[in-house]
Amino acid sequence: MAESTKPILEISELWVTFPAYRAEAIHALKGIDLRIDQGEFVGLVGESGSGKTTLARAVMGFVPPPGRVERGRVLFNGRDLSHLDDDARRAVLGRELAMVIANPRAELNPVIPVGRQISNVAYYHLGMRRAETDRLALNMLRAVRIPDPERRFNAYPHDLSGGMAQRVAIAMALICSPKLVISDDATSGLDVTVQAQVLDLLQRMVGEKGAAALFITRDIAITAHFCSRIAIIYAGEIVELAETAAFFERPAHPYSIMLLAAFSHSPALRARWTRVPSDGETATTGGCTFAPRCVRRQNRCVVEAPTLRQLTGGRRVRCHFPVESDTA
Amino acid sequence: MLLRYIARRILYVIPQLFGIILVSFLLVKLIPGDPAVMMLGPTASEQSLAALRDKMGYSKPLWQQFTYYIGAAVHGDFGSSWQTTRPVTEDLLQRFPATLELVTFGLLAAIAIGFPLGVAAARLQSGPVHKFAGYYRLVAGAIPDFWLALVLIFVFYTRLGWSAPPLGRIDMAVAPPKTITGSLVIDSLIVGDVGALSSSFGHLVLPVLTLGIVNAGPILKMTQITMTRAFSSEFVRYAEMFGLPRRVVLRQAVRAALPAVVTIISVLYGFLIGGAVLVEIVFSWGGAGQYAVQGVLNADVNPVLGFVVFSAVLSLIIYLVVDLIYFALDPRTRG
Amino acid sequence: MSALLEVQNLVKLFPVSGSRKVVQAVNGVDFAINRGETLALVGESGSGKTTVGRAVVGLIEATAGEIWFDGKRMGRGRNIRSSELRGRIQLVFQEPAESLDPRIRVGETLGEPLRYLGLSRADRDARVRDVVSQLGLAERVVDQFPLELSAGQQQCVGIGRAIITKPEFIVLDEPTSALDPTARAEIVDLLIRLQRDLGTAYLFISHDLSTVRFLSHRIAVFYLGMIVEEAESEELFARPLHPYSAALLASVLLPDPKLKQAKTIMLEGEIPSPIDLPSGCPLAGRCPFADAQCRVALPPATAVGPAHYVRCYHHDRVAALDQTVDHFARLQADMNKLLSAGAN
Repeated sequence: MAESTKPILEISELWVTFPAYRAEAIHALKGIDLRIDQGEFVGLVGESGSGKTTLARAVMGFVPPPGRVERGRVLFNGRDLSHLDDDARRAVLGRELAMVIANPRAELNPVIPVGRQISNVAYYHLGMRRAETDRLALNMLRAVRIPDPERRFNAYPHDLSGGMAQRVAIAMALICSPKLVISDDATSGLDVTVQAQVLDLLQRMVGEKGAAALFITRDIAITAHFCSRIAIIYAGEIVELAETAAFFERPAHPYSIMLLAAFSHSPALRARWTRVPSDGETATTGGCTFAPRCVRRQNRCVVEAPTLRQLTGGRRVRCHFPVESDTA
Repeated sequence: MLLRYIARRILYVIPQLFGIILVSFLLVKLIPGDPAVMMLGPTASEQSLAALRDKMGYSKPLWQQFTYYIGAAVHGDFGSSWQTTRPVTEDLLQRFPATLELVTFGLLAAIAIGFPLGVAAARLQSGPVHKFAGYYRLVAGAIPDFWLALVLIFVFYTRLGWSAPPLGRIDMAVAPPKTITGSLVIDSLIVGDVGALSSSFGHLVLPVLTLGIVNAGPILKMTQITMTRAFSSEFVRYAEMFGLPRRVVLRQAVRAALPAVVTIISVLYGFLIGGAVLVEIVFSWGGAGQYAVQGVLNADVNPVLGFVVFSAVLSLIIYLVVDLIYFALDPRTRG
Repeated sequence: MSALLEVQNLVKLFPVSGSRKVVQAVNGVDFAINRGETLALVGESGSGKTTVGRAVVGLIEATAGEIWFDGKRMGRGRNIRSSELRGRIQLVFQEPAESLDPRIRVGETLGEPLRYLGLSRADRDARVRDVVSQLGLAERVVDQFPLELSAGQQQCVGIGRAIITKPEFIVLDEPTSALDPTARAEIVDLLIRLQRDLGTAYLFISHDLSTVRFLSHRIAVFYLGMIVEEAESEELFARPLHPYSAALLASVLLPDPKLKQAKTIMLEGEIPSPIDLPSGCPLAGRCPFADAQCRVALPPATAVGPAHYVRCYHHDRVAALDQTVDHFARLQADMNKLLSAGAN
C-alpha cells in the first residue's frame, strides 16, 4: 500500500524507562511501533499497568519524571515533540494535538467558568479576539449538545455532572480542530447511556473535521465500534495490531483472546485460555513477557522473545504460535 | 444574597464582641496590682484607698462592674485611664491610627518581600533563589522583631546616619498635616505637604522594614507551599496539556494559591495590631499597643479593655473582608 | 418458603442543607430475595440503587417502608450491627483498595469479622486459611499487606472478609466497577462458585449489564428511585418492556463490531435531579412515548409475564420495537465458537 500522505503520528522503537531505587529499571514501554494515518481511528487496548497511559503521555511529550524516553522517537506530523523547545511544543498541544481524559472535572480549573476555559484554548492558539473566541466556545458547547449552553457557559466545573464535564473537555479538545485527538480512557466512570452519547459525539465531530483519533481504553468493546484498526498492549509491548473486523473475527494473540474471553459467561471456556503462573514464576529475561500466563507456550517462548511480525492480511502479532496459523 | 451574608456576619459581631469583652474583663481583673495603691502611692492611708476604690467602683460585685462597663461601652464610653487622665476612647482614637499605619505598611512590606520570593522559590525548585528562600524562612522565624529593630537603628542611624532618629512618627520640628485618614504619610500626600511627607516617611522606613523583614517569613512559607501544590495540581497539568502559554499557567496557579496566602495575611494582620508593640516601643511610636501594655503594667484596667475591644472589632472586620475576598476568588465557596 | 429478604415500599429522603427541599433518593421500592438467589439492582447514577443497598443492611435509616430479614423486621436498632444478625448479613464495597486497611496484613483483615463472633485465635486462623484457599489465592497472601496485591486480588480479599462468617446474605455495591475486564471475570466466577458452595443470597448492585446478566437470577432496573422493570435475567435481556430498560440495553457496547445495537430507543437529555420530582412517571421528561397520562399519574407495576413486572403504560409499544434479537445471547454464542478453537 503506497503511503501517499504522511502519517499524522509515527512512533518508532519507543522505549520509556523508570529508574528504580536499587533495583533494575522498569521499562514502561519496550520498543513501541505504531503508525496512525490522517483521519484514521485507531484503538489501543490494555489493562492497568500495560503502559497505555505512559504511551499517551509520551506522545504529548510529557513523560512524567523520573521516567524518560530511553530510545526511539515519536513523530507528530513529522516533528519530534520532545525535541522542540517549550514554546514550540506549547504551540502544537491543544492546537494540532489534543487529549481528552477521564474524569475531567477534577482537572478543569475550579475557579474559572467552563466557557471561558474553552475560549482560552482558542484565544491563546488562534490569535483571535476574546469576543470571537467566546463566541466560538459557545458554538462548541452547542455542538457537544450540552443542555442550556448559554447558561452553562458561565458555570463552574463543580456545577456540572460527570457527563457534562466530559462534554466540556471534548469541546476544549476540538475547538482548534486538531489533526489528532487522543482519548485516554475518556469514558470510564461515565454512565452507560452517557458513554454511548459521548462516544457517538466524539466519532461524529472528529470525523467531520477529518481528524484522526487514538482511543486508549481498557474496554475492548469500545474499539469494536469506533476504530478501524486495533492494537493490543501488554507489559509495555504491542502484541497484536490488526484491522478491527478481522481482529474480532479471529484474534491471533493468546492475550487478545484472553481479553475477549472476559466477556464470556462460560467459566470453563475462560479457564481454557487462562494460565495461572505458579508461585513466583515471572517472565524470563530474553523470553516472551506473556509466557507465564500463556496457555499456548512452548519451550521456545521462554528463551526467545517474539518480535512483532506480519501475518496474512496485514495483521502483526508478537507471538511464536499465534492462533491464526493453526486454522486449516 | 451577598448582602444577606454580610448583614448576618455583622449581626454575629455583637455576640462575639460580648463574649470577648466578658472574657477579657474577667482576665483583666486578674491582673495583679491594686489600682488604688498605684494611683495614690504606697504611703496612702487605708481610708483614702478605700474611698478611692469606692469611687472607682472596685468594691462593687464583679457582675455589677461588668454591667456598668457594658452599659457605658455601648455609648462609646470606655472609661478613663488614670495614667493619662483622659477618656480611653480619646486616647485610643489618637493612638490607633499610628498603630494601623505602622502595621499596614509593615504588612505590605512583608508581602512585597515574601510573596514574590515564595512564588519564585516554588517555580525554581533549585538554584540560588530557592536556597535563599529556604534560609530566609528559617531565619525569619527566629529573629525577635525588637532585636532586628535595634540592629537596624544601629546600622542605619547610629553608624550610617541615613535614617531619621527613632523617636516617634515625625520630626518634632515639623508640623503634622491635617488629620484625614490618620496616617501621616497618606495625609501629607493628600494635602501636598512635602515637608511633612518626607519627615513622616523617613520615620516610617525603619520600623516598616523591621516588621516587613520579620513577617515576610510566614508569608513566604505559605506562598511557597501553596504555589508548589498549585503547580503540581491537576488543572495546571491540564492547562499545560492544552499548550497554554507559560505565563497564563503561572497566573492561574497564583490565582489558585491566593486564598491560602490571603488567610495567612489576615491572621498576621490581626496578630500585629497587638503584636507590633515591641517595635512600637523601640521606635517610640506612640501606638495603641504601647498604650495597652502601659495599662497592664500599671493595673490601669480601662485602657487595656478599651484596646481589646477596639482590636477585636478591627479583627472581626478584617476577617469579614477576607471572607468576602475568598468569595471573589473561589466560586466553590459560594452558596 | 418465605423470602430471606423482603422490602416493602421503601422510601428514603435526604434533606438538602439550607432549604426545605429534599432529595428523593428512593421513592417506594418493593422487592424480595430468596435464599441462595441473586437479585441485581441496575441503574445509572442518581437511580437510588446504592441507597437501597445501604438501607437494606441498616447503614442508613429508611424514611418510610419496611424491611424484613428472615421474617423479622429491620430498623430501629435491629440492623447489621445487632448481635443476632452479626455475621449473617455482609457487605462488599466498590473500591477494594479503600476498604482494606493498608497497615493491617491480609490475614488480620480477613479474620476481623470473626473476632466479633467470639472465635478463638486458633479457630480464626483456621478459618482464614480455609477462606484463602476458597478464594483461590496463594497461602502466603495471609502475611502480605493489601498494597502488595493486585486490584483483583484485593477485591477477592474484600469478598473473603464478607464470606468468612458464612453469611446468609451479602450486599455487593459495584464490586467489579474498578477492575480490569479479566479481573472482573474472575471475581464473578468466584462469586458464583461461593454461592453454589455456601448458598448465600446476593443483592448485586451494578451498572455493568453484561456482568449482571451472567450472575443474577433476577434483575430490577432502577430509575430515579423507583423500580421501573423487574424480571428474570434472560427474560429482561430478551424482552425489555420499559423504555428505559430498552434504552439502557441498547447503549451497552459489545466486543463485536457486527453486534451494533439498533438505535430504536433514544432518550433525550440527561437524568434529572432527584430534588422536586414531578408527579407521574419519572421518565416522562425524556421518553419518546410519554403522553399526558404518563406525566400525571405514576404507572402501577403491571405483570407482563411470570415474575416480570413493568411500570409503564406503553410497554406494548416497547415490545413492538424490533428488540427481539438478544445481542447478549448472540455474543455468547459467538464467544463459545471463538474460544473453543485454538487452545492447546
